[in-house]
This record gives sequence, structure tokens and C-alpha cells, in this order.
Amino acid sequence: MQVKIGIFLCDCGGSLRNIDFPKIRGNLEKLEGVAFVDISHNLCLEEGGKALASRILSEDINRVVIAACSPELCEHNFMRLLESLRLNPNFLSIANIREQCSWAHKEDVTGKALELLRMAINKARLLQPLERKEVPVNQEVLVVGGGFSGMESTLELSQLGLRATLVEKGSALGGKLSELEGFYGLGASPKEMLGSMTRAIEEGKNIEVLTSAEVTRVEGEVGNFTVRIRRGGEEFPRSFGAIIFATGYRAGILPRDFELRPSVNIISQRNLIEILQAPEKLERKPETIGFILDVSDESSRLATLLVLNNALAVKEKWGSEAYVFCRNLKVDSDGAEKLYREARATGIAFLKFEKKPQISEEDGRVKVEAKDVLLGEEISLSCDILVVEEKGLPPEGTEALSSILNIGLDSQGFYQNENVYLYPVDSGRKGIFLVGACRGDLDISRASMDVASAVMGVCELLASGKAIVEAEKVRVDPDKCRACLTCIRVCPHGAIRLVRVNTEKEVAQIYDLACEGCGICAAICPAKAIDFEGYTDEQILAEVEAIGE
Amino acid sequence: MGGNNKIVAFCCENSACAAADRAGKIRLYYPDNVRVIRVPCAGRVDVLHILKAFEKGADGVLVMGCQEEACRHLTGNTRARERVKYAEILLKESGIDGERVRMVNLAPEMAHKFAQEVSEMTERLKGLGPTPIKNGGPQR
Repeated sequence: MQVKIGIFLCDCGGSLRNIDFPKIRGNLEKLEGVAFVDISHNLCLEEGGKALASRILSEDINRVVIAACSPELCEHNFMRLLESLRLNPNFLSIANIREQCSWAHKEDVTGKALELLRMAINKARLLQPLERKEVPVNQEVLVVGGGFSGMESTLELSQLGLRATLVEKGSALGGKLSELEGFYGLGASPKEMLGSMTRAIEEGKNIEVLTSAEVTRVEGEVGNFTVRIRRGGEEFPRSFGAIIFATGYRAGILPRDFELRPSVNIISQRNLIEILQAPEKLERKPETIGFILDVSDESSRLATLLVLNNALAVKEKWGSEAYVFCRNLKVDSDGAEKLYREARATGIAFLKFEKKPQISEEDGRVKVEAKDVLLGEEISLSCDILVVEEKGLPPEGTEALSSILNIGLDSQGFYQNENVYLYPVDSGRKGIFLVGACRGDLDISRASMDVASAVMGVCELLASGKAIVEAEKVRVDPDKCRACLTCIRVCPHGAIRLVRVNTEKEVAQIYDLACEGCGICAAICPAKAIDFEGYTDEQILAEVEAIGE
Repeated sequence: MGGNNKIVAFCCENSACAAADRAGKIRLYYPDNVRVIRVPCAGRVDVLHILKAFEKGADGVLVMGCQEEACRHLTGNTRARERVKYAEILLKESGIDGERVRMVNLAPEMAHKFAQEVSEMTERLKGLGPTPIKNGGPQR
């Protein structure tokens, strides 16, 4: 098919005054394969679009080059327009002559605009059509972890009509929710919350709960994961379209940082909660209780919330004196500031240290010595019980699961999200979501936010039961592929797999639905067997070529 | 403003392209000798592309990707950095100053950094002059 290029120049309502459009037209018309060069004032408006459409149809061109504003603004619309004209949307090449040319320079930039256009034209000549096709996706969702985040995800999915299977390692649902004593400042008590959630799950439609079960293997890609679940000695495969991980956290006290052994008087938050729940274990009511935060590093949100909660609880139940030693109190989680003010109002003292406090045990009491930097004084406090900070650590098995899933871990061993700033609940692999405490230090309100966004993500992928992909946008040439596995190793999205093409040869194949189109594989392939349509070596070099002209 | 020195900037469409757009939007006037080539991720840029750019008449090459640790595709920017380093070695071996190629990390909002990097490269190229390729091959 002979390439016939139609060029549309848009002067953005006549506002791009430092570009001489007629001159550019004169220059481009002479180029080989160019059918016409049009100057428009408003390609982005309806009338501009109509004019563009009628020109494309009447001249019967097969490549469209548009010089207009940033492709980020207009590319999508023009692609849709081409599609409606039964022209392949990939036959579009855009030169950004507004943001990156006219607006960025004061002087006359006709020369630069012309060069940008030549780059776009060179690329347009090499563009190949991309076929869009529908791929069926499995609408069942697997939720791993039966804590707050997992239960919430399951409930929300079922409300949206998706079938959810909840897999919990323990024998009952609840996770940390069943262990907490109170949520001061958050209304409902954890027990009530757990009760109502469990009831909802039992009554909910489309929900299957598997307790005492574990995920041992995950294969496949978004829309069609095969997961092996082990339960009571037997292992069985199941198919899912998407997976939500809500494996939570493990509470740990850090003896290394305190250089002291937990004893009767030095206890963890968890111990304190146990005592609070069964006060008869206590010989006598503790009069002074110290809490300590931030010894290892800046305290986590979870630890801060827990300390505030527990300090308020001891104050309320026993009327004890409570002191909180901290470095910088982190009150950025939902309700924490209010909780802190409440604690101050009830008479809990907060002491701010900079140097690590000295802790010693004497006569059955614990002595804490620290310098309060606000008072500027050395403080020595003798308390009945010292409650040590608790840190959220990744649960056991995270590492094993991360290697099964091909998802990275962060410096603390939690699951690492794809891009913490842009895609907080997405893992590097499409269709696998990470919510709640398993992706780091999160409080309960943040966890519900996570759940909501992950569920939306799942819906986007699976709700219609099918997905539309650009088939073979990134393509492996089976003749060139030597199955060296380099691409499979580097693919950040786990979208490449090895398939057998005939009896003796295996080659890499890219799974269109899981591919996010970064082109890292195309750049790294030693055999140059991978082509990324739109950004093939030839196309990029063709753009480069225009620079010297 | 930019002189005759050409800069090719391979820009990641997730960050650097947006930064370049923004620089125009807020009228940060920078030298007009830069040509942005949009790539889906800095990791798509191959050593071949960098070297070919010099061969085709570029005097400087910028590879612009997302911030460290914040790559849209996780490892694309670190791979790009490695490749730029490698291209630098190859350039030096062929008698071309390694200063002519540079890896830049920026966020979509960092229009100032985009403009600054382009200006800096332009200044550097003014000092270095056109590439030896333009004068009929490198002089050893």
C-alpha cells in the first residue's frame, strides 16, 4: 500500500504568531508522498474535526500528520476520530508545535516547527496498522487475607456483582481487628465492626470464604490467573481474573533497639491489650504507666495510633497516670490529631526526647531517664509498667509470595507498589492489587481508601467480562528470538512468557493485556527480536534523521 | 538563541514530555535548538538511538526520564542511566566528548528543570563546538 500523507497544521485560533504557516505549507507540499497540507484554526473543535474528517475521506489518505498542541491533550481525540473514519488509529503522528515550540520560544520558530513536522512525517511513513481485539476475562476475584482490608474488599466486590473468594491463613476471619481493644475517636469498637462485617460476609451474595487456606502458586496474567490454593493438606487450582492482596502486617517489638528483655514490667502493646481485656490477671492496678515511641526511628502511624488508643484506655479503665515518651508524634492519620488532643485533655503527659532514653529496672519498677527538649530538663520517671512501641512488620511469607508473584519488596520488606506516587494500590503486574497494611504503614482509614481504589481497579478490568487490547503492539519475531529469557527477566510487569511454537523451539511471547507498553524489552533484546509498533528502532531513528536535514 | 548546536532529547511520555509541555505553558523560554522525541519510557532508549543521533547531526543528547525510584515502569529510568553511561564510554572511545550526552531525572511538574537542563546543555555545547562528525570524522 502506497503511503499517502495528509498534513493538518493547526494554528490554535491564530495564536501561534511566531510560526509562519504558509511557509511551512510551501515547504512540506513538495515532499514525497504528501497529498496535501491544510491549515486549520481549530482542529480540536467540532467544526475543525468535521473539516478534517471530510478532507481525509475525500483525499483517501492513509497517514495523518497533525501539527497542533501536545499529544497528551489531543492524541486521544484524533485517534477516536480516525477510528470513526475506519482508518487505523495508529496511522496518526503528531508534532507538538504549541507547547514545545511556539510557546516555549520568543523568537520566530518556523524552522523548528518545520523540523518537528519533518520528524512526524518521517515517523508516519513507517507506521503500521494495529488491530484492536476483544479478549475475554475471568470475572472471579481472589482476595488474600481475611483482615479488615480483605473483608472490606470482599464485601465491596460482592456489592458490585463480582464473585469474590476470600482466602484466610488463620482459622477465622478478623485479623488484627479481633486483637484490638478500642478505637478511640473512630466510633465503632473493633468487636462490633468485626461482628457486622462477618455477618455481612456470611449473608453476602457471590462470596466464598476459605479459611485455613494458603496461596502457594500464581500463574498466568490478568484476566486469567491460575492460583493454587492449599487447604487442609490438599492443593487445588482455581482460576481468577484479578487478585487483591490484603495480607496485613505482623506486630513486632524491637528488642534490638531497646537493648532490654521484655519482662513483667516491660511489656508490648499486645500484652497491655491482653491485660486490659482480662484485668483479673493483674495483681494490683498500675498507678503509673509509661509508653515509649520513636526509639528505633520515626514512629509509624500504626504505632502512634496504638499508643494513643492504649494510653486513653488505661486512663479510662484504671485511672492510671500515663506518660508518653516520643520524639516526633506523627498525627497525620485520620483522627489522630483529635485523639492526641483528647489524650492531652485527659491529662496524659507527652515528653519529647531527642536522645534515646535510658531504661533500667529496679525493685520491680521501671525507671526511664530522658531529657525533655521542650522543658530543657532531665526527667526521671519511675513507672509500674513500661509499654514498648510496636512496629508494623511484613507478615511471614511475604518474601516467598513476592517471589512467586514477581513483585518487589521495599526496604522494610513490605510489598512495593508499582509507583507509590502514581499508582498506590497497583502492583507492577496488572490485575494484582495490594491494599492495606501489607503495602507498608497504613492506618484503618487509609486502608479503606486503598480498598475502594483497588475495587475500582478490579471493576475497570473485569466488569464487562472482556477487555480491548491493541493486538501485537509489542511483538516478538519468532525467527529472531533465541529464548535467552532476557526480556522475561527485565519486564517490570511480568507480561512476557515463553511459549512453544513448534516441537523444537520455544520463544518469548508478550501477553497483550498485561503489557503496559514501556518498551524496555524492545531496547534490551540482544537479538533485536522485539518490535514496539509506534516506537520501533526504525521509527525512532526516522525521527532522529529529520534533525540533520 | 540556541545557535547551531542541535540537541536531541529523548523524553519519557510519563514525565519529561509533560515537563516540556509545562515549560511551554508557563512560558519558560529555553533555547530552541532542542528536539524532543517522545518515547514511552526512558527504558526504551537504546545506546543505538543515542549514537545514531550523533551520527545524524546532533551535538548533544539528553535522555529524560522519571525521578529516581519513581519510574512509571519501575526500572526504566535506571536502565536508561546505565545505557547513557555506556554510550558515554563509546563516544569517548570514538573521540567525542562524553559530556555531550546526559541522563536527566525529572517529575512531570519540573518544567524549570527541563528548561535549565536544556540551557545548560546548550552552554556546554557552545564551549565544545560542533561534534567532530560534522567536520569529517573525529580527530584522534
